[in-house]
This record gives sequence, structure tokens and C-alpha cells, in this order.
Amino acid sequence: MPEPLFEVDRREAFRYLGLRGAEPDAATARAVEEALTLLNDAVEPKQVSRRFPLKWLDDSTLDIEGLRVGSRALARNLSDCGEVFLMAATLGLGPDRLIARAQAQGAMSRAVALQAASAAMIEAWCDRVNAELKRQAAARGQFCRPRFSPGYGDFALECQAGIFRLLGVQKNIGVTLTDSLMMLPTKSVTAVIGIADAPAIPCPTGCAACGKADCAFRDERKDDQI
Amino acid sequence: MSFLDRLGRERLYCDGGTGSLLQAKGLKGGELPERWNLTHPEAVRDVALSYFNAGSHIVNSNTFGANRLHYPDQEELKAIVEAGVRHVIEARREAGREADGYVALDIGPTGRLLKPMGDLGFEEAVELFGEVVRWGAAAGADLVLIETMNDTLELKAAVLAAKENCSLPVCATCVFDGKGKLLTGGTPESLVAMLEGLRVDALGVNCGLGPTQMLPIVKRLLAASSLPVIVNPNAGLPRMEGGRTVYDLTAPDFAAAMADIARAGAHVLGGCCGTTPEFIRAEIAATRDIPFVPPVPERRSVVSSFSQVVEIGPRPVIVGERINPTGKKKLQAALRANDLDAVVALGLSQEEAGAHVLDVNCGLPGIDEAAMMAALVPKLQSVLALPLQIDSSSPQALETGLRLYNGKPLINSVSGKRESLDAVLPLAAKYGGVLIALPLDEAGIPADADGRVAIARRIVDEAAKYGIAPEDIVVDGLAMTISADSGSAQVTLKTLRRVRDELGLHTVLGVSNISFGLPQREAVNAFFFAMALESGLSLAIINPSSAAMMAAYRSWLALSGLDDNCAGFIDAYGSQQGSLFAGNAASTAQAAAPKGEGTLADSIRFGMAERAAQQAAERLAAGEDPMAIIDGTLIPALDAVGKGFEAGTLFLPQLLMSADAAKAAFAAVKEALSGQSRAVKGTVILATVKGDIHDIGKNIVKVLLENYGYRVVDLGKDVAPEAIVEAAVAEDVKLVGLSALMTTTVSSMEDTIRLLRREKPDTRVVVGGAVLTSDYAARIGADRYAKEAMDTVRYADEVFG
Repeated sequence: MPEPLFEVDRREAFRYLGLRGAEPDAATARAVEEALTLLNDAVEPKQVSRRFPLKWLDDSTLDIEGLRVGSRALARNLSDCGEVFLMAATLGLGPDRLIARAQAQGAMSRAVALQAASAAMIEAWCDRVNAELKRQAAARGQFCRPRFSPGYGDFALECQAGIFRLLGVQKNIGVTLTDSLMMLPTKSVTAVIGIADAPAIPCPTGCAACGKADCAFRDERKDDQI
Repeated sequence: MSFLDRLGRERLYCDGGTGSLLQAKGLKGGELPERWNLTHPEAVRDVALSYFNAGSHIVNSNTFGANRLHYPDQEELKAIVEAGVRHVIEARREAGREADGYVALDIGPTGRLLKPMGDLGFEEAVELFGEVVRWGAAAGADLVLIETMNDTLELKAAVLAAKENCSLPVCATCVFDGKGKLLTGGTPESLVAMLEGLRVDALGVNCGLGPTQMLPIVKRLLAASSLPVIVNPNAGLPRMEGGRTVYDLTAPDFAAAMADIARAGAHVLGGCCGTTPEFIRAEIAATRDIPFVPPVPERRSVVSSFSQVVEIGPRPVIVGERINPTGKKKLQAALRANDLDAVVALGLSQEEAGAHVLDVNCGLPGIDEAAMMAALVPKLQSVLALPLQIDSSSPQALETGLRLYNGKPLINSVSGKRESLDAVLPLAAKYGGVLIALPLDEAGIPADADGRVAIARRIVDEAAKYGIAPEDIVVDGLAMTISADSGSAQVTLKTLRRVRDELGLHTVLGVSNISFGLPQREAVNAFFFAMALESGLSLAIINPSSAAMMAAYRSWLALSGLDDNCAGFIDAYGSQQGSLFAGNAASTAQAAAPKGEGTLADSIRFGMAERAAQQAAERLAAGEDPMAIIDGTLIPALDAVGKGFEAGTLFLPQLLMSADAAKAAFAAVKEALSGQSRAVKGTVILATVKGDIHDIGKNIVKVLLENYGYRVVDLGKDVAPEAIVEAAVAEDVKLVGLSALMTTTVSSMEDTIRLLRREKPDTRVVVGGAVLTSDYAARIGADRYAKEAMDTVRYADEVFG
């Protein structure tokens, strides 16, 4: 068996399966491992990222090389930044094909395990891309803010089209947008990462920062447990 | 001289990148570059001029992204395309290159993924490329260059659009990654198979990689292709420098690497991202004196899917015959019920059994064959990577299948009848494929090999008139039952040998026809199959799930020296317990499975599908009443699992494993029910709403509802409100379940509910999906929000209870 491409946080996969921090039973744990093995042969991780100057039009409206974003949540995230990284990352069509195949075979349990494991895997891939960008910032004595994606809070999905244009996402990594602004392959992520001259004051991130308290996937552990 | 007079006869040069040149003239990163054709005509003309001056023969119009998805205003789009072509024509005149410069109408990808993986319809794509082609050709382009494609289906749409809307030469290049794969899984070989079938004039690779990384891909393209190969790499690998993308090769480095590519035999050279007129000038200087080798025809018979290539010969190829409703009641019922999943399952089982290609025939009285073909081909290709054989006696259904097929298919079939030749040969010429030729004509099937070979020869000659090469024809030996004519097998075998030896063509048989009317047909079929293989059979249309047929095939390969160290044979049978011929493979496997401990209820609780099916079968065999098994064991076991899930002691994977096991047990019991059926609690319509292509949540709910005794009408994903309402009215359902994953598609959920309220007010609506909450669900007018998998089942029990 080939080496895993990168370490995937199993707890993330279990969370997508609705375990909410509970310990998985043996069958669930096995299903996730089997899914990760299948995915390891099928994924084609790709990424594209670039640094852009950030202009402030007012306290909640930003301009990234012509892409205008009105979002309080993003503005808060980028409050002391003069530059951003835009990034896009994907696992390719492999996971989508595996999931479609499992469903066609009537193996819904395998389909959901693949779905959860590949969702955890794209997070792991984004973490790795993000770590490299952090390293680049650190080399200049700068600091990165937590990555923030269209669709979080009031950061409108409509901004996807602009990010796609600025990064040449379709051309560079083959990710496309549907009419309703979904990314295909589905295991793809775009994000904005703020670049600042000072380290950030610690603040809640991930589930703890999100207002959707009744989400089925909410991580109910406290921030300091994560 | 015209472009085609020179293509493939001498080395031609393309231009290089345009984006960075326009950016140097002030184009912003987020700005649409094609609009500059109207706003900055001098800048665009200058770029083209600088490439003609550098020595490029082929210079692209600035129309890469010029399509209606990026420019919805049609007037503006038309002006952009026309101006784009005109600027290059003017630059050519200014450069004095009218004698040897060519204007390429540049076409890039839409930026959208085509169905079935994506949401853009095939014909929609053909149409949006088509209008650009019409305007560009009318404005004076000399050729169409389709480039930077990474989905072969989109590429096929673009090629068809070019061919259907102009008579210009068509060239096409794709983006490969470092492993030699397209982003959608294609390989150099699969790309070549499809594009040669579609009859482009040249093909190749661009973007994505630098020349050094591209060299192995170029070699594979050259080895596979009979057409000229185009190579347009980036200026090496990109890196960021001061907020700009720069590439790691200088012009002299690039030129040196391109000299290697020229020596490998590439026919058209240029550049892509990061290359400038300076790069092209250096490339021309470095490669001008390297001898040019024209492309040579490869003369191989290949079929392909979006990712796989199957070569016909020297190893014989197995075509799985089971997706054909003739004489198959179950498949007929599935097609009539529009149950495509059942058809896909037949495909998957044949792939597992060892088929290399799958036959697809959906001809059945009372169904619209072309529409079924249009649904089935993409559905199969969304799950299966095997090449398909498009099989129909209706030219219309045949064309529908060929058009939507992603790859180069087998085509079944043409005969020597004038009507068939006139209908099928143009389709094979247009869409490409390996064509099965039946040596029969208006006078019927010749009784001897002489007659069959003569008709085969005539078909080859007729096909040549359409430019169809002999290697793209396989001749059917026409197996006919020996029960009617004891000499017929010998005539068929003789036909195979003579077609191979005298015509030099590959052959095909529907093998099992040989035994109609006889007992123990499998025995006759398997022996005949071995005889046919020995007589040169290249393609065998058989049931790969027949142990006897696959044993004959694998034995023949081993005995013919086509299975090194008998590795394939040992791999297939090394772990086989007992005799192959004691029963079919499935029952052997079942006998070998350990008798499980625990009850049927335990098997369902722990999600063991095979054991659950086996235990259900054992209890039936012991005389237990099927309904008693369902009501006494299966439903209570499922219910216990469902309650555990709701209580939070069991999780989704276990719930679904139990559902899979229960489904397997139900299937075993259902066969015994024959006639009397399990009581249906009610009918529920499920759909993922328009614009949304995530269907896993909906499919989870479907499995659970079915296990709990509901009939589910599954309308699929990306379903328009009107279609959902129409089905709700037609089925007169009490309950509709809608799924939407994204905020952007909840609005179509709302539209659907509004339309349902108006047209079918007595129907209740339950909704689910990641972005919904109960408040949100209430706000868009739903009756119930289903947060988790079991909630819809419980709500259905309320509605129908």
C-alpha cells in the first residue's frame, strides 16, 4: 500500500458522520479506515495560491484586486491586514467518482464513509497548503490569520466567481463552478487568509466561531479541547 | 499555401502566452481579458504582431474565455469574437506574413463541468461553442484551436461545435498533469483515441507543465497518434515573486528543452503561460535545423472511455452482453420503470466478472429508445470507466448514444444493406468508433464463408468512401444455432479465419447464439468460444458472469502463450475451492463462506449483508413463511437500529450498514414472495432541488424509507420545480421530500414548495440539507424539517399512519 499522502484527522471524519465527539464503534472506525485507503489511491491533490494587496473601502467592505467583498465577518477576520493570500485546493474528481460508484452499488454506508473521510481529507490538504503559506509569511516576519471561506457567516458565495478569476482556479487546478456557485469536484475549498504584521489576539475559530448552534455537524468540544 | 497543406509536412510554430503581455500593458488580474478586444484594440493587435514578427505561423485570437457564460450580452460577445479575429488578421498584414501566417480562433474551456459529473448540459455546451465558431469563422479565421481543455467530454462538445458550424481545420490540445493524467482522468492514449475518432486535424498538449515535464507525455502522444502533435508548454514551473507569477525558465533554457521535444518528433511547437515572443524566437532558432518526421498512421484498433483504452488484438476482448433487454424480463421491467440503477448494477457486476467493454442496448417496444440511450450512457459513465458498445438498430438511438459518449466506442452495427450503410456509416465517420460489420444484405445471410467475406469486403469499401479506416471495422462471423443447421458453426469459424487472413481485419461474434434450442447451452457455448478464439476471434460478446465462458477464455489465453506464467489464470482461480464446474461461481463462494453465528436479527444489527441474505434464504428453505420473516424479524431488527440511532447510541454508518443488510435480506425474501408483495405503506417522492447536485443525503433517506416499507419515486438531483410538481400530481402523492445543500439552492426549494402549494395543496413537504434549520424550513413554507436521517421516516409514519 502506498504511503498516505498526508495525515487525516479521523475525529473530523467522525464528526461529519454525526458522532459529535463521541467515541466511534469498531464498525464505524473500520469504515472510515477503508474509505481513507480507497481515497488514498484516488485523490489528486492540487492547489493554487497567491498574495494580493488588500484595500479597505470602508470598515466592512474590502477590495482584493478588483474583487469587492462586503462582509462584516471577513472584515473582522482581516481587521489589521494589508495583504491576503487567496487559496484554492482540491482533491480532484476521484472522491466524487468513488462516492457515485458506492451509491450505484447500493452501498450507502460506504458512500457516507467516503463522503466524511474525503471531507476530512480536503481539510487536511488545506491545512498543509495553509501551513506553507504561513511559512512564507513568517519568512518576511509576518503572520497569517485563520483561513476564511466564502459561505462562512456573511461572506457571500457570490464572491467565488471573483476568486476563481483572480487565481485562474479552473485553468490551474481544474475546479469549476456551477450556476448555483457550487464547486466541482465537490471536495474543493477556496479561502482568504489575512496577512498581518502582528500576531493575532486569540479568538474563537471553527465551530466555536459559528452562530449555527443546532448544526448536525457541530463540534461540541470546547475550544481548548481541540 | 493553406494551413492544411503544411500541417504535418513541415514544422510549424504557434504563439506563446498572451495574459502576461496584456498584463504588462495594464490588464488587471481580475479583469476579463477578451473585453480588451473592444477597449484596447492596439494592445491586443500589438501582441499578435509581436508573435508574427517572432516567427509564429499560428497566432491565436484573444478569445480564450469568450463565451456566453462569461459574456452574457450576446451583442458584446459577438463584437469581442469578431474583433479578436480581426486584430490578428490586421497584425498578420502589418507583419507581412499573409503568405505563411494563420489566424487561429482560440477556444478555451467554459469553466463549468459537464453532466453527469457537473451541471452543464452537453448540447448547451455545443451551442455556446457553436456561436463563437460561427462568428469567428465568418470574421476570417483560418483554423479553430481548442486548447487548455481538461475534460474530454467538454472537448468533444467543442470539436463537434467546430465541425458543425464551420469547415475550417480543427486542432485540440489538453492540459496534462505531471503523472500524464487529465484532471478528469484521461490519458494521452485515451485522448488520442477520441480525437482521432472525431477527426481533428492535429492534437496535443498545452499549459500545466514546462517542456521538460511535458516530454514523457509528448512521447506517449506521438507513439499513439497518427495525427500531427502540437506542444505548447509553459515557461517552466511557476513561483510567486513580489505578488506576481513568474516561471523558472529563461528563453534560452526553454528553447533548449523544446529542441528535445522537436527531436522526439513533435510537429507543431509553441508556448503557453509565461512564454513571450522572445521565447518563440529562441525556440525557432533552436529547432529549425532538427529534421522533421511526418506523422505515420498507427493502424491500431482501439476503443476508449474517458480514462481507459482497450486495444482489440492481439489479446481477444470480452464485451459484456447483459445490458440488452432482449429475452430478459427483469431488465425489461427495470427499463420500463426507468430504474437506471438496476442497469448500472448489471454493468458493475460484469466489470467485476472480467468484461473489458460493455454492450448497451435499450431497444424495447413501448419505450423511447433514443431518450433511454441519452439517459443511460451518461449514467453508466458516471460510475464505470469501461468503454461502451453503443448498440441499436435505430439510427436515431445510435446517434444519441454516440454523441453523448465520452470516448471512442464500439458501434453495433452496420450491415451490407444499402439502408444500413447509408444510415450508419455517416454516424461512424462523424463521431468515431470501431464499427461492427454484419456480413448480410438484402438477400439475407450468406450460407457460406465466400458470401460473407464478399459482403464484408463491400462494407469495407463503402466505409472507405467515408474515410473510415479498415482498422476501425470488425467483421461479425455471424454465429447461428447448430440446432437448425449442423454445419453453421463451421461456416462461422471459416469466416473468422478468412476475414483475418484475406481482409486482415479483426472479428467479432455474439458467441451464445450458436446453441439456441439445445440443452446445456453453456457447455456448447464454451467449447465453441474456444474454437472461435483459435480461429482468430478478436471480440467476444458474451456473458462474463458465466463461469464456463470465462474459464474457456482464460484457459485459451494460457494455452496460447498470451498469459505470462499463467499469472492471469492463477489470479482468477488460485483460491477456487472445489471444481469450477460443480456449480456457478456465486454458489461456490457461498458454500465456502462460514456458517455465521448469531441470528438474522444480529446480522442486521451488525450490518452483515451477505450473511443476512444467506440466513434469510436458509429460513425460507426451512419452510418459514416469507411474510413472517419480514414482520417477525426484519422489521423489528431495523426498528431497534433506528431507535438506537435516534437515541444517539448508534451512528450513521451503522444505521446504513444495517439498512444495507436489511436490503439484502429483503431481496432474498422478495424472490420467495413471487406474486404476493410486501404491503406498501405509501409512496414518497424524493428529489434534490434545481441547481443542487449533491444527492447523498437524499439517497440515504431513500434507502431508509424503502426499508421501512415505502415506495420511493426518486427524481434524482438538479430537478426543476415543475418536474417535481408534475410527478406529485401524476403519482398523487401525500408526501414530497426535498433536499438542498447550499444557501444558493434553498431558493429553488422555496420555489418548489410554492408551486406545490398552488398545484397540489394536499401534499406535505419535508425538507433536509446542511444549511437548513427548523426556523429556515418553516420560513420557506415546509411542513417539516428533517435534521437527521431517520426524521423523514418518522414523519412519513405520521403522514401515512
